[in-house]
Parts: sequence; C-alpha cells; structure tokens
Amino acid sequence: MSRPKAQNLINAAWGFIGSVRLTIALLVILAFVSVLGTLIPQQESSVEFSRKISPRLFYLLNSFDMFDLYHSLWFRIIIASLAVNLTVCSIIRFPGTWKLFKTIPRPDREKPFESLAPEQSFVVNKSLEDTTAETELFLKTRYKKINVKKADNKTFFYFEKGRYSGFGVYLVHLSVLIIIAGALVGSFFGFKAYVNIEEGESVDSVYLVKGKKRLMLGFEIRCDKFNIRFYENGTPKEYKSELTFLTDGEEIDKRQLLVNHPVHFRGITFYQASYGAASVRKILLKIKSHENEDEEKVIEAEQNFPLAMPDNKGHFAITEFKDNFMNMMGPAVQISIMPENGQEVVFWIFQHYDLIRERFPKLIESSPRLNPSSFKPYVFSFEGFDYNYYTGLQVNKDPGVPIVWTGFFLMICGFIVTFYSSHIRIWIRLSCTETGVEISAAGTSNKNPVGLKRKIESLADDLKEILT
Amino acid sequence: MNSSIILSFITFIYFASFMSYLLMLVMGKSFLGRIGTWISLIGMIIHGAAIILRWMESYWLGIGHAPLSNLYESLAFFSWTIVLLYQLVEWRTKNRTLGAFVMPLAFLALAYASFSPHISSQIQPLIPALQSNWLITHVITCFLGYAAFAISFSLSIMYLLKGVDNKVKSSSLTKHIPKQGVLDDLNYQMVVIGFLMLTLGIITGSVWAHSAWGSYWSWDPKETWSLITWLIYAAVLHSRMVRGWRGKRISILCLIGFGCVLFTYFGVNYLPGLHSYGK
Repeated sequence: MSRPKAQNLINAAWGFIGSVRLTIALLVILAFVSVLGTLIPQQESSVEFSRKISPRLFYLLNSFDMFDLYHSLWFRIIIASLAVNLTVCSIIRFPGTWKLFKTIPRPDREKPFESLAPEQSFVVNKSLEDTTAETELFLKTRYKKINVKKADNKTFFYFEKGRYSGFGVYLVHLSVLIIIAGALVGSFFGFKAYVNIEEGESVDSVYLVKGKKRLMLGFEIRCDKFNIRFYENGTPKEYKSELTFLTDGEEIDKRQLLVNHPVHFRGITFYQASYGAASVRKILLKIKSHENEDEEKVIEAEQNFPLAMPDNKGHFAITEFKDNFMNMMGPAVQISIMPENGQEVVFWIFQHYDLIRERFPKLIESSPRLNPSSFKPYVFSFEGFDYNYYTGLQVNKDPGVPIVWTGFFLMICGFIVTFYSSHIRIWIRLSCTETGVEISAAGTSNKNPVGLKRKIESLADDLKEILT
Repeated sequence: MNSSIILSFITFIYFASFMSYLLMLVMGKSFLGRIGTWISLIGMIIHGAAIILRWMESYWLGIGHAPLSNLYESLAFFSWTIVLLYQLVEWRTKNRTLGAFVMPLAFLALAYASFSPHISSQIQPLIPALQSNWLITHVITCFLGYAAFAISFSLSIMYLLKGVDNKVKSSSLTKHIPKQGVLDDLNYQMVVIGFLMLTLGIITGSVWAHSAWGSYWSWDPKETWSLITWLIYAAVLHSRMVRGWRGKRISILCLIGFGCVLFTYFGVNYLPGLHSYGK
C-alpha cells in the first residue's frame, strides 16, 4: 500500500516543482527581492547608511546579507529554484509538444468541419476529378507537403505550417539556463580587478575586487600617456590611455584605450575606468629681484632638485607640493633657500597668491612662512605646474561572456518563434452534392485564432477564384 | 525657430487631439474621432521633423549626436513613439476610442519635457560613456517597449472602466469602448511587443555596458528595475498563456507593470547609480 502512496507523493512534488504556478510565484518573489536591493544601499554605499540606522537593525539586515543582496546565498537559491523550475516544467511538457510535432493527423477527418462559417465553403459546378486536380495543383504552389485522401465522392487535403512553433518556449527556457550558466562560468573562472598606472610607469599585477588580493598578470603594461579632452563648455569629451604591453621587457603591442573601446590582450580585457593626478612633473617659478624690477627669471623646477640662485649666491629647492593647500588655498609649493651664509629660509608660495591675499589678508601678514616677500633680495612666484596623470584601468576576465551572448541570441529567436509563429493545420474537403462539388476549408491553431480565421477565409477566397 | 520651441508647441496639438477623441467618446460623433486622428497625425509628423531638426542642430553646434541623450530628449522621443504606435494600432483596429486614453499620455510626456523647470532642453555634448553605436539601438528598443506598455496601460484602464460599467448599466461614456474580449486581446498583443522590445533593450544595454563599464550586468538600479519590469511582464505572459488568466486580473497586473516602467524611467533617478544621464 505504501509504495503507490509514496509514488503519488513524488509525482505530486514533481508536478509542483515543474508547475507554472511556482514559476509565477518565483518571478514575483525575485522581482520583490530585487526591489529591496535597490532601496537598501548595497556594498560600498551601505557604509554611510549603516551609521544612520540602529546597531540592532544593522545587525538584523546584515545577518540576511541585505547589504550585498544580489551576491548572497539566498538570492542565488531563488535563481537556482527558478532554473530548476523551468527545467522540470520543460521536461514535463516536452513529450506533449514532441507528440504534436511528430503526429500528422489523418486528412479525412470530419471533425474540423463540424461548425463551418459560411465564408469557409462554396459550391462549384464541376466534376470531383477536375476540382481535385485543380485544387491540388494550386495548393502545391503554396505549401510544401500536402496529404491527399480520396474516398467515395469525397477528396480530403491536409497540410500544415509552423510545426516548429511549439518549440519556441523551450528555446526561451533554454536561453535563460544558458545565461545563468554563463554568469556562473564568469564567477568561477573569471575575475574583476583594478589598477592605476602613472604615466611612464608600468605594472605587472592588478588588484582583485574580491579579497583585495594582488594578481600577477604574466606580462607588463606601461601607460605611455594619458590624455583628456574637453568640449568648449567644459564637459569631458574623451579619456584616452596609450598603453604598451611588454613581456620580459620586450614591447609586444601598443594600444589606445578609450571609454567604450576596451582593449583585449591575452584573454584579459582592459577598460578605461578613471584617472587622476599622480605626481608633479614640473613646476614653473618666476624669480624677481626686489631692487631691479627688470631682473626677472622663469625657471622650470622639479621637486627636491636644488637649483642655484640667480646671483649664484646659494641654492634653493622645492621641498613640497600641495595641489590644494589647507583644502582651500589652491596649489602651493614649499621653497627652501640655502643662502651662502646663514640660516635656511623656508616659505610657501601660491599659484593664486593675489586671490588668497584678498581673502585671507591677516593670515598672510601674520605668517612669514606664507608670505613670499619675506625673503630678500628675491621674490618667488608660483606660475604653474605640470603633473603626471595616472590612468585607472578596470581589468576583467570573463570567459562566460560568449555564453551569455549566445543565451541572449537564443532568447530573441525563442520569443519570435513563441509569439509570432503558430502551428496551423488546415483541412480542405471536396464533396459531391446535388448542386455540384462543395469545397470547404477548416483548420486549427495552437495560438492566434484571429490570424487562423483570416488565413482560412483568404484561402477559401483564392480557391473560389481558381475554381470558378 | 528651434526644435525645443516646436516641441513645446506640439504639446498643445496633442492636447487638442486628446480633446477631440474625448469629445467623440462623450458625444458619440464619429467625425470628432476623425478630427482627433488628423490632429494627432499632423502632430506626429511635425514632432518627427522636430526630432530630426534637433539632430541637425546638434551638428550645427559641432557636437553632433542622435537626440536621445538626456531626459528631455528621451521624453520627447517617448511621446513620439507612443503616438506612432497608437496610430498603427488605430489603423489596424479601426477603433478610435483608445485615442482618448493614449493621447493624454503622449501629451503629459511632452508637457513634462517642455514645461518642467527641472528639465533642461539644451543640447548637451555626449560624455565619453555615451559615445557608442549602441546608444541609438538601446534607446529606440527601450522606448518602443515603454510605448507598448503605455498603450497596454491605457487598454487596461479601458477594460476596468468597461467592467465597472457592465455591472451598473451602460453609460454613454463607455458605450463606444470595444468589447472586453477585444480589449483583452489587444492588450496581450501590446504586452508581447513591449516584452520583446524591453528584452531587446535590456540585451543591447547589457552588451553596451560590457564595453563601457566592463560588466554586462552590475545591478545598477536602472538595470535592476528594468529586470523587475521584465519579471512582472514575464509573470503576466505566463499567467495568460499557460494558466489561462484573462481580463481583470491581467489588466491589474498590467497596471502594476506600467508602474514599474515609470519607476525604471523616473524613480530610479532618486537612487544612486550609473545611469545618471537620464536625470
């Protein structure tokens, strides 16, 4: 007794796992959970959010992985359930579709003709042989395979179109599984990393996003130049890195990297992700004499590289650079002067000195270290600077991408088959009556009944024209 | 005369068309519907021309790009696709009552673009992330999908109105609305078009994101919300095609689905993310 009962239970469970009811429930659950993920700040942005909420709430949310919801185990379980559901659903339903695909119904069926609309039949005054021959000839110009059955006083034709239509839905389900498989391949065999390279420098490793570990590339990348171009209104127009790929110090390839135009090298893809100022290359200084206004000299200096004073009495050097002094005073450099005799003199000079003197007059007056006139006999001024950029690269390897693309392609094919094709079966019956031969057309379709009706009516019209 | 002035003018044309359709529905005079159709067709042609003019203007400014790059341009395009798709439906079904429910959406989209103080109608140059051949295909497929869902929304409203009316007694307002079966069938066709286009929109966006951001899917709020919308309409299609749901339940689901579309389009701007150009 217990065996059939257990079997029933298994059947019921199998039926539930493959039910469309479960599909709809899972789709709605997945939608709802995804909404949560857009409302609760995820990953990096969750840090700020966590300060605003109570520690207890934070603990609760965190224990459900709410701050990295899309990568949590339970989110993956929902997706896996959906995958299992649509696999089982397809397995349960496929034999029926296959049977429908394989079996060709008998041509001499009377059932389709049971409820005919007046537009679907007409009578011609000809012999059955002639109408049969003419009809067959006409149908052969339109349809590939026509089954004919001749009986007493009757001829039946059967043909069909779009037999493959029933498979569209399996193609869609398969495509979803392929996309999920592609994503899995990417997460197991791929990586996502970042690296910043200063102009002129090269790197042989990148930093993985997961675990913040270093990954050796097996080759070197050098950034020869980073370039940024702007539109007239100041919005950025182009970010461009000129990269050289090297192995064992030997240049293998030179490539240009732009946003929207990633570079592929040995299975790894590089994206232009960010940029920034790395280090100061050259600083432009102007040195003026206090006594003689005409005595003026413009010097290109480098940081920590001593230069002789204009009168050759002593040396000076730039000992520090700040791109925004005290976070409000703009670019500044620290000058250190070593006179031939006496103490070292250290002070700051500013690129926008006039502006600063206007805004912070007291600060400049009270602090000789911020006043460029504090040293005699020369006045130093900071004219400008030139710095090295670094280019920020995103470095990816994702062998799952071609799989995902295949899934996308199959999904679109599957949709077109599912929504825009239908399995149409058409029967035509020629039967002798007292007034002549009656020609009737009827059919069935797995979807789109309106299209079927239109098709049968136009077929009947065409036949009428041919036969009369 | 620049394109944004023409576009703001078309807002009134669409309003006039809406009024004609509405009067037809109330008064039952079919010539008013024909006037509505003509006004909306004229509006659509000028609207299309204005979009092309805007494209040319961007070239005259030396920053030539398709006019699909910010909220203003997308709203103008959205409004145009609604009217285009509606006119196709009207031509196929020979029924004008839908106009009274669809034209207000086209009118509102364009009015919001033209008269909201938060939306700049200036032609902006394309930032590097948007400089891609995928821009045009991505935006066109997405908005064709949105337009189909907008019409599905209108059809659902009509269905529910008709349903309320059937219970009481046929009032003059809904007398001319087609039978519920017709509405349900048309609604299904719109959902199919919308779903297909949304899928294409997500796919093109995904392929584009792969080359621009280095990842075909990064759970950015706009991506996620488009997926949510996709899941809802997938549920609609399954419940209709396999479970045999019809009518009222489908209509209510379509209202929820269009709510998701609107949130994907506008609401996401209030969440942080990568799709910030749409603000």
